[in-house]
Amino acid sequence: MALTGRAALLAALGSLPVGIWDPGWTGILAVNAPLAVACACDFALAAPVRRLGLTRSGDTSVRLGDTADVTLTITNPTRRPLRAHLRDAWPPSTWLPGTEVAASRHRLTVPAGERRRVTTRLRPTRRGDRQSDRVTIRSYGPLGLLSRQGTHTVPWTVRVLPPFTSRKHLPSKLARLRELDGRTSVLTRGEGTEFDSLREYVPGDDTRSIDWRATARQTTVAVRTWRPERDRHILLVLDTGRTSAGRVGDAPRLDASMDAALLLAALASRAGDRVDLLAYDRRVRALVQGRTAGDVLPSLVNAMATLEPELVETDARSLTATALRSAPRRSLIVLLTTLDAAPVEEGLLPVLSQLTQRHTILLASVADPHIAGMATARGNTESVYEAAAAAQAQAERHRTAEQLRRHGVTVVDATPDDLAPALADAYLALKAAGRL
Amino acid sequence: MTTEATLPSTSASPTARQVWTRTRGVVLALVLLLVAAVAIAVIRSDSQHGTLDPRSVDQYGSRAVAELLADRGVSTRVVTSLAEAEAAAGPDTTLLVAVPDLLTHGQQSQLRSGTADSGGRTLLVAPGSSSVERLAPGVVANPATSLDSTLSPDCALPAARRAGTADTGGIRYTATRPDADECYPSNRLATLVRVPDRSGDGDTVVLGAPDILYNDTLDEQGNASLALQLLGSRPHLVWYLPSLSDTAATDPDDEKGFFDLLPSGWLWGTLQLFIAAVLAALWRARRLGPLVPENLPVAIRASETVEGRARLYRKANARDRAAAALRSTTRTRLAPLVGVPVTQAHAPEALLPALSAHLHSPGDGQAMHALLFGPPPGDDTALISLADQLDALEREVRRP
Repeated sequence: MALTGRAALLAALGSLPVGIWDPGWTGILAVNAPLAVACACDFALAAPVRRLGLTRSGDTSVRLGDTADVTLTITNPTRRPLRAHLRDAWPPSTWLPGTEVAASRHRLTVPAGERRRVTTRLRPTRRGDRQSDRVTIRSYGPLGLLSRQGTHTVPWTVRVLPPFTSRKHLPSKLARLRELDGRTSVLTRGEGTEFDSLREYVPGDDTRSIDWRATARQTTVAVRTWRPERDRHILLVLDTGRTSAGRVGDAPRLDASMDAALLLAALASRAGDRVDLLAYDRRVRALVQGRTAGDVLPSLVNAMATLEPELVETDARSLTATALRSAPRRSLIVLLTTLDAAPVEEGLLPVLSQLTQRHTILLASVADPHIAGMATARGNTESVYEAAAAAQAQAERHRTAEQLRRHGVTVVDATPDDLAPALADAYLALKAAGRL
Repeated sequence: MTTEATLPSTSASPTARQVWTRTRGVVLALVLLLVAAVAIAVIRSDSQHGTLDPRSVDQYGSRAVAELLADRGVSTRVVTSLAEAEAAAGPDTTLLVAVPDLLTHGQQSQLRSGTADSGGRTLLVAPGSSSVERLAPGVVANPATSLDSTLSPDCALPAARRAGTADTGGIRYTATRPDADECYPSNRLATLVRVPDRSGDGDTVVLGAPDILYNDTLDEQGNASLALQLLGSRPHLVWYLPSLSDTAATDPDDEKGFFDLLPSGWLWGTLQLFIAAVLAALWRARRLGPLVPENLPVAIRASETVEGRARLYRKANARDRAAAALRSTTRTRLAPLVGVPVTQAHAPEALLPALSAHLHSPGDGQAMHALLFGPPPGDDTALISLADQLDALEREVRRP
C-alpha cells in the first residue's frame, strides 16, 4: 500500500472548507471521511500486484561500455486494468552514476487479460556478473489516490565481459604476423625456422632459398618457404594478488593486464598457437585449457569477466608450481604481474629458474603514467620531492627489470594504453626469432 | 489464457497469512503487555481511588460520614468547580474543601473572597502552608508535622470537648488571632483551628488531617462525633472536590494566550493541514522497492606509495636523498646519449669527459661535476634550482 501526492494535496485543499465553513471536529470529519472512502475505493479498484505474471528475456552478456537490453514481460490475468509504476532494480554499477533512477523506472498500462513488455537498458560500469534484484510494481487505482505495491523476483544475470579495447590493434598486428608467415603478396621471405612448403620461383625471391634438389625433380625452379613455428603453447598467467588491485588511471592494473592478455590470445590463436589461461593469487581463480583456436577468445573473455583483484600477497612458489603443471610441454609463459621490487625479489626471483629451465618467460607489467608525470614535475618544493620519489621508484623498477632480464626473461613495462601492443610486439619478436 | 495460468508466481511480497505468521508474536506480546498494564493499574489504583469523595465506599472514601449526616437531616452536595462552590456559599451552608492544595493561588484567593463573611462555615482539610495563608488568614502552618495521630482536644471548643480524643494529628498550625480556638495540640501546636469571621457568625475551620472523614477510621476514637459536629452545624453541606478540569484554573486576569486570540477557523484549518502533512510524509516515505546492495571494488591508487615517499622526503627534509635520486636518473638518461655504457653512468671520470665533448658549448667542467656529482643542496630553493639545472643540461645534450 502506498499513498500518492494527490491524496496529500486533497487533504491540504480540505483545510480551506474546514477553516472557512466549519471549524471543528465535524468539519475535519466531513473532509477526511470522504477522502478515506475514496482512497479505499481506489485501493479496491487497483489491479492486484501479486497475481501479475512476469517473465524476462534479452541479453545475457555485454562488453563493458556497451549497453544490454533486458525485456520484462508483464501479464495481467486480472479483470482490472493495470496502471502502474515499475522499478526493475539492478545493482548500482549496472548503470552510469546518476542515470539509475531514469533507467530503472518504467510507467506502463496493461489492459485486463493482456500483456506488455518493458525494456530496461543496462550500461554496466564494471566487469562481472550483474544479477537482477527485485521488480517492484506500484499499481494505481482509477483515482490515483492510494496504490497497491508489491515485489516480484524474476532472476536474470547479465555477464559483463572485459571491454577488449585493444582489439583495435589487432589488424596491424595480424598484418605483421602475415609478413612473418611468408604469405604476403610482398613475397618477403618468411622468417622463422620451420619448413613450410615448396613453391614456384618468382623473380624477386631470395636465390638462397632455391631448393636445388626439388628443382632437379621439376621442370621449374622451386623455392622453399619458411614459416614461423606453429602449434606452440602459450600460457597466460594473470596475477590477481594485491599488486593487481592498484588503480592506474581509472581502472585496476588487472584490467589493463586482461586487455593485453586478450590481444595476445587473439593474435596467438590466429598464428596457430594454443593459448591457455591461469589466474592465480594464492589459489586458482580461473583456468582455461585446451580450447580450439575458434573457441579460445570467448572462453577467455568469459573466464576473465568475473575475476576481481584479491587483497592478498601472491604466493609465487605455488603459482610457479601450478604454472608448471598447466604447461607440461615447452611453452611461452606470459606472466602478467608487477615489477615492484619487493614482490619480485622475495617472491618471483627465487623460483624463476624453475620456470626458465624449460620455458620461455615473458613478463608484462603495467606502469603508472601518473608516476611518469610526477617525475617531470618541477617548480616548487613539493613537486621536486615528488619528482625525486618518482625517479627513485622508476629506478627501482628498471633495476628489477634488469635483474629479470639477466635471468633470460623478456620484460615488457608499459602504461595501460601501450601495454597490449607492446606485449603483442614482444610476442611477435619472440616468434620471429624462433624462440618459442 | 492457459499460458497465464501456468506461469509460476514470481511474487516476493508476503501474503496476508505470512504477515500474520510473522507478526503474531509481536502482536501477542503487545496485547499481553497492555493487559498486564491495565491489570496492574486497576490493582494499584484501588487504595487511592475516590479519596475523600462522599460517594465513595472505599477505604479512604467518605460515604459513611455523608450517610450519617443525611440521617441527621444534613444534605450533602458534591461540587467540582470553583464557581459552584462560591455560588453555594451561604449562612446555612458548610463548605468543605477536600484538597485545598490542588487549587491555584488565584483560585484560593477567589474562593476566600467568595466565602468570607458569607455567614457559613468553611472547613479546610489539611491545607499546606501556602494554601492556609490565603484561605484562612491568621493561621500559619508549621513545617514539622505531628508525630502522633491520636490527640486529645485540650481546648474550650464545645464540639471538640464532646468528641474527646480524635485522629487529627497531621499538619500543625499556629493561630495569630486571639479569638481563634486552637484544639488537639501536639507539642503545643494545634491540629484543629477554628477562626471566627470578623463579621457575622460564620467561621473557618482548619483540620490538620483528613483521617476523621475516612470510612475506615470514622468509627475510631471520637472521629465520628467530631466530624458530625464540624460538618453538621448547618443544614447544607457543600463538598468541594477540586478538579483539574475546572475552567477557573486559568486566572481570569491573566493575559490571553496566542491561541485564544486566533480565530478558530485558523486553528482547525491548521489541524487539517497537519493531517495533509502527515499524508505527504507517508507518500514520500514509501520507496519503490528497497535499495540494492553491492560489493564495492577496492580503490587504491597504484601511485600511493610513491606519493607517500614524496611526502616523507618533504617531512624529513631529505634533500640529500632527493638530490641523489634526481642526479642518478639524469646520469642514467645522459649516459646513452653521449655514448657511455649505462653501467659506467655513475662514474665521473667516464661520464664527464664524454659529456663535455658532446656539448656544443663546453662549459665549466668543474660546474658540471658539481651539478652531477656535487654535494646535496643546502635548502629547498637550491634543490628546486638543481632540478631545473639538470633539466637544462639534459635539453642541451638532446639538442641536435
